[in-house]
Amino acid sequence: MKKIVLSLTTVALIFTASANDKYEKAMLKNISLVYEANTVDAYQQAINNLTRIGNAEKNKWEPYYYITYSYIIMSFMEQDPGKKDSYIDLAQAALDKGLAIAPDESELVTLQGFTHTARLNVDPMNRGQRYSGMATKVLRQAIKLNPENPRALLLMGQMMYGTAQFMGGSTTEACAMIEKSLDKFETFKSSHALAPQWGKGQATDALKQCGN
Amino acid sequence: MKKPILFLFLFIAGQHLMAQVSVEGYVTDQNGQPIVGANVYLQDTYDGASTDTTGYFSFETTEEGDWVLVATFIGYRSEELPIILGDGSSKINISLKEELNKLEAVVISAGSFSAGEETKREVLKPLDIVTTAGSSADIAGALNTLPGTQTVGEEGRLFVRGGSGAETKTYIDGMQVLNAYNSAIPNTPSRGRFSPFMFKGTSFSTGGYSAEYGQALSSALILNTKDMPVQERVDFSIMSVGVDAAATKIWDKSSFSGKIQYTNVTPYFNLIKQSLELEKSPVAIDGNFAFRHKVREHGMLKFYGNFNKSSVSSLLADIDSPEVKTKYQLDNHYYYLNSSYRDVLNDKWSLKSGFAFTYSKDIIGVDQGNIAEKQNGMHAKTVLSYDVLTQLAINFGGEVFHRRYQRFLPFTADNQLTEAGFDEQLIAGFVEADLYTSNRFVTRAGTRWEYNTLSQKAAIAPRLSMGYKTGDNSQISLAYGQFQQTAEDRFVRVANNLESEKADHYILNYQWLSDKQTFRVEAYYKDYYDLVKFNEDTPDDPTAYFNDGYGHAQGIDVFWRDNKTFRNVDYWVSYSYLDTKRNYRNFPSEAMPTFASNHNFSFVYKHFITDIKSQIGWTYSFASGRPYHNPNEPGFNAGKTRSYHDLSMNISYLWKSNVILHAFVTNVLGVKNVFGYEYGTQRNEAGRFDRRAIEPMAPRFIFLGVFITLSKNKSLNGLPNL
Repeated sequence: MKKIVLSLTTVALIFTASANDKYEKAMLKNISLVYEANTVDAYQQAINNLTRIGNAEKNKWEPYYYITYSYIIMSFMEQDPGKKDSYIDLAQAALDKGLAIAPDESELVTLQGFTHTARLNVDPMNRGQRYSGMATKVLRQAIKLNPENPRALLLMGQMMYGTAQFMGGSTTEACAMIEKSLDKFETFKSSHALAPQWGKGQATDALKQCGN
Repeated sequence: MKKPILFLFLFIAGQHLMAQVSVEGYVTDQNGQPIVGANVYLQDTYDGASTDTTGYFSFETTEEGDWVLVATFIGYRSEELPIILGDGSSKINISLKEELNKLEAVVISAGSFSAGEETKREVLKPLDIVTTAGSSADIAGALNTLPGTQTVGEEGRLFVRGGSGAETKTYIDGMQVLNAYNSAIPNTPSRGRFSPFMFKGTSFSTGGYSAEYGQALSSALILNTKDMPVQERVDFSIMSVGVDAAATKIWDKSSFSGKIQYTNVTPYFNLIKQSLELEKSPVAIDGNFAFRHKVREHGMLKFYGNFNKSSVSSLLADIDSPEVKTKYQLDNHYYYLNSSYRDVLNDKWSLKSGFAFTYSKDIIGVDQGNIAEKQNGMHAKTVLSYDVLTQLAINFGGEVFHRRYQRFLPFTADNQLTEAGFDEQLIAGFVEADLYTSNRFVTRAGTRWEYNTLSQKAAIAPRLSMGYKTGDNSQISLAYGQFQQTAEDRFVRVANNLESEKADHYILNYQWLSDKQTFRVEAYYKDYYDLVKFNEDTPDDPTAYFNDGYGHAQGIDVFWRDNKTFRNVDYWVSYSYLDTKRNYRNFPSEAMPTFASNHNFSFVYKHFITDIKSQIGWTYSFASGRPYHNPNEPGFNAGKTRSYHDLSMNISYLWKSNVILHAFVTNVLGVKNVFGYEYGTQRNEAGRFDRRAIEPMAPRFIFLGVFITLSKNKSLNGLPNL
């Protein structure tokens, strides 16, 4: 009988593990969908899948991370400023859900900076001042939460580069920040399988702009 | 036998895991059109699918029994359907209803120009106001390049659609501002007291506005102040007309901004000769502060204060005998305090409440002594908004105004101080409903009730506007409303029980709005009635004042703005046609008022040149001649000035990331503009009345300024504070 009980426990364990496996497996599949997406429809598909996972799981922030990320990219792909803003609204709504679960997750706070940057890009002339301030503030917080986070450093560097160019200032400091982010991309070890991986390519491109 | 049991168990479990059923169907909108990319899934599971280009979805699930099937899509209301999962496949078709999306939906645009930072529908942004050449960074100056306004160069106020400057009222965060313009000596333009960059949104209504606003016959300028600033900063400016310093401090939930400005035009007037003889050039000290405090999640408490002391003194030659010069000294003391609170109470209810106080005292020094004109105003208001449904919202509220106007004249025959004045109280309430029948069609219907203690009259003023979206980018709107306003102080102080003056507005508007391009055309008719008429010969006799004046104004306004066709270039063109006549005040018959002109045209051009880090702006304004009354000729207001032309230019140069140089010149070509004529009271030897032209104090005004910003983030600069 003991053996049966033991086996049942094993089965139960296998079930629990498989639930976690199921989450991770589903997430991994959809994360690669996000990274491979290059049309609005493909992003929407991934967002739909991630939304289901997020709704079912309740205490996982990763689905919301990738939903937010996808909507931001969709806003960059869109031309109409009104639609850009509606995508960013959706990004913000998803991000708020993620932040409610993990308020101190550096990656999520970084995405908040990314969302502000997207907002700024819709109308730099009029939104520049306000949103560059807001983005700088949260990115600083993201770096404080995890000084190794290369994405936070990259977005901060790009924000500094953009403002310096717009205002005609020096880009030295911005470029140093981007370089630092690239260094961190080399050494950064993800804490878990579902952690964000993107950004190294952008950092390399951004550094090229700097003339290095 | 133990092993087989376990095996069996695992087998059953495995079988169970593999028992899949399929769910499939179509998702369509209310018109039966397929919805592509909708998310259809079993609630709280991973199981689901997105619809394809035909609206078809299909997915497999291992779940059994009673479940909820959810279908969602952006812009549509989510649908939840019960589903029983059993053997075989479930087929289910879902129809989604369009959700009201206020961003995409039709808006009420008749009669209104809005400017703000956030939404893309805005016609003008705060930055546009300061970068418009010829605006002199004055809100009214920039709005004067929009259609519906008339150029009245000697006033500097907003004259809208045949209405006088007094018919436009200014509101800050919903609260009325009395004396919103600096005091100026007669026939010199005044400036608005408030810097354009205090505001995140400006809504300039040229008619037909909401029932929330009363006491404005022609136009409402609705200014909404900024919320919490995002960064601490210190600003300094050195300008050809003065200096200023400003600072912003931010705490966790609060912020404080203060600004102090000293203006002294003496050095400039010494350098550039003015046609008006000044004993003392304009000098002013001006202070502003703003305090913000966040309450709970959505609550915002705001305090805004402004004080201003200004002084100017001129010598005016008598028209009949030019060697006789009359002194006119003007000292103004002004305080304005505005406090407001807004909050979201719950899903359905939100609240706006405010209190404003204005104190203004003009001391006019003439040779015989000082005339003082004093005004105290208080305004308290509360507005509640109730979202009955997504498609239906109701706004209602009440307000109380109290105003005390006093005028002191020291020089009567027996040298006694005489005082004329009044206390006016207004109690008003309004209710208004916005009903979206669909994303395409909106109706706003409201009514305003007002009781005035002076005239002891209550009035009900209905308002109605509608908007219909004719295409993705175009819409037509119309508006109707009754508006009323207490008669001007100079009349009420004599005849206390004068009734309010009234006007009905009828507006039809077409608007086409795309990314960075705007076209709109608006036709209107305004019917004025109950206007004050009085007998010129007995201006002090209260019984000689009546509310039997009337008039009309009609016209067409056209606006085109393009920020797209030319790279780094933004331009707009405005044209207004106005036909107006009134029989009011001292008019002997129906005539065109002296502030009106038939044709007004503006062309505003802004070019950002990246290579030299500069923005250059040009504005050309034209107004056809204005009537003036010539006592030497028959007829009333029968004379007409020559037309008005002004070409202004400005340049902003970003010297360093936190230093901006700004310069502007008005009337670059030096055209000699005449706003009207004043006539003497006695006939000369030839039996005619001599006259003097009302004209600008100098052909051009030149401004130079350096704006420096210090902040932790070096990218901040003074652009928004010019």
